[in-house]
Amino acid sequence: MTSTSTPTASITPNPPAGPIELGFALVDERELAAFARHERVTRDDYLEQLGDARQCVTLPDDAEPTHFFLGSEFCEHLLPSVEAIDRAVALCERWGVTFGLVTPIACDSLFEPLRAAFARLPAGAEVTVNDWGVARVVQREFPDLRPVAGRLLGKMLKDPRLPSATWARMYPNGLRAGPFREILDNLGIGRLELDFPPFGAADMYAGIDFPVGVRAPYGYIAKGRICKLGSLALDVPEKFSPGHRCRRECLGFSEVGARPGTRELQTSQRGNTMYYRHAPGMTAAIAEAVANGWVSRIVLSGA
Amino acid sequence: MKITAPISTPAEVEPLVRAGARELYCGVVPPDWIRRFNTSGVNRRVFGNLNGYADLERVIDNAHTLDAEVFLVLNAQQYGEQHLDALTEIAAHFRSIGGNAAIVADISLIASLTANVPDLAIHVSSVATCRNVESARFFAQLGARRIILPRDVTVAEISAIATELPELDIEAFVLNDGCVFEEGTCHTVHLPMNKGGPICIDNYQFEYRAASGEAPAERALRRLEKNDQDYKRWLWYRFGNGFSVAPNGYPWGPCGLCAMPAMHAAGVHSVKIAGREGASERKVKSVELVHEVLRRIEDGEPETKVRECAVGLRDAPSHCASGYMCYYPEKRSQPEIPVHAQPA
Repeated sequence: MTSTSTPTASITPNPPAGPIELGFALVDERELAAFARHERVTRDDYLEQLGDARQCVTLPDDAEPTHFFLGSEFCEHLLPSVEAIDRAVALCERWGVTFGLVTPIACDSLFEPLRAAFARLPAGAEVTVNDWGVARVVQREFPDLRPVAGRLLGKMLKDPRLPSATWARMYPNGLRAGPFREILDNLGIGRLELDFPPFGAADMYAGIDFPVGVRAPYGYIAKGRICKLGSLALDVPEKFSPGHRCRRECLGFSEVGARPGTRELQTSQRGNTMYYRHAPGMTAAIAEAVANGWVSRIVLSGA
Repeated sequence: MKITAPISTPAEVEPLVRAGARELYCGVVPPDWIRRFNTSGVNRRVFGNLNGYADLERVIDNAHTLDAEVFLVLNAQQYGEQHLDALTEIAAHFRSIGGNAAIVADISLIASLTANVPDLAIHVSSVATCRNVESARFFAQLGARRIILPRDVTVAEISAIATELPELDIEAFVLNDGCVFEEGTCHTVHLPMNKGGPICIDNYQFEYRAASGEAPAERALRRLEKNDQDYKRWLWYRFGNGFSVAPNGYPWGPCGLCAMPAMHAAGVHSVKIAGREGASERKVKSVELVHEVLRRIEDGEPETKVRECAVGLRDAPSHCASGYMCYYPEKRSQPEIPVHAQPA
């Protein structure tokens, strides 16, 4: 499901600055054990983690792992333990890749655990921030870390049900707006991570005056703070309400399906978040964006 | 504490202010916007907007005559860079005819308005998902005067932000319309109902899978399906009890009336009634409902008494007892409900 869009910026290819960066983003810290058996990590090790969704990814021939991420963009209850962070940092040192901690939109009570987590990170580690407040804390208190704007901050319409590309143009993204660039600069953010949206095109990343990474092969559609699955073991008044500890049921179960009678993108829900899986046209468009130098990193992650 | 209410026509100003609203918010699609940009997306809602600048001016005049303020929603989650100048012009015009504040989510637009329309107050929309003190400080630094907190926060979180940042006005949801996903991280549109409506109540047919990729074990599946049934019931409440009203005309939930005493004590500046697209009568009844509770708080009634009153106003306390009709269920009053009156 791709179509041609008309970016306002130049669509001149950027000369590739070198091989594309390749990351894998892991949410469930228990799965670190599977990675730990690798003395070195390869692109196949990353792709293998995607199961049958690996067919929805096209990587350049020279793409090899450069980054490894741990943590959730979507849930305050999935912040990795400091022990897991230590293990992941050690693995990255062994593999010779950069570690990144992924962080969600935060409530105030998450800031102390976040500070404890940041304190474990080596200089130069990345922090994927999805909350402006978290970005401020990283900049002010952990200047040795490198904040990356996560895809929750790179707003764009991503409704897989849209009947046509015309609908998708109703709210264009503002990623090229001057103030956006300036605000990210002021927060010390040097990189942007984005999704590939339904009805997107390769050149949607052209002219963004920032190094861009794309998540593949799943985009997220919507995320809430209320979690159906996380309420499984709760009762009223905690059930279906914010801020309550869950049992991380989302790491054990997900939902997959579609709207009856449609041929839309494969859709799934894990915990509080809905995802679509990239169709072949989307995979090809990302590969085109990489080839043109508009995207300099691919971050593989599940749904 | 003030009541902030939605309007979509000038005729709604007087009844809403007379019912107790001191702040009104509205949207407008200027006549040349669609011609210039081939989209009606000036704000988050395609419908429920005023008919043009003449109506906007009437709204402001009427509201100011009645000592109420008017806020303009420019609250799309994001705008293209090609829209920023036009939006800034809209905001400048709004200010020039006496408008009081713009409700904005997009950080580029906030920065643009601060720079170019400095005497127009900025209220950070709930769509910006600002729900911690550090984030509120970030928006304050950009020029915001008020933070409208998103729906799914706890009263303790609201109180902490309001207490920590007395220089900012804090607004919290109190009534109507319940998104399931956070507005700032739901990248969908409300399709017409014949195309699916809001995605959170669209007809997705999902099947559970365990982490192995296979179907869950039978026992787990039974628990998941029971949870799904509870969730459907919660969804029914989340969407105003199936988009209905109480027999006495008051709107159903989501509702935060029981939390109002705590929010008042914490110094929350305003409570927000959602629903620009709703019928005028629903808006008026919503304001009446909230105003009745606010009046009792301001009269110094004890919190327990206020909450007892709140659950009695719709004359159907069993719905309150379900715990699913609340924005802030931790604050719900728990009346004794006779068994025969309990919800199925």
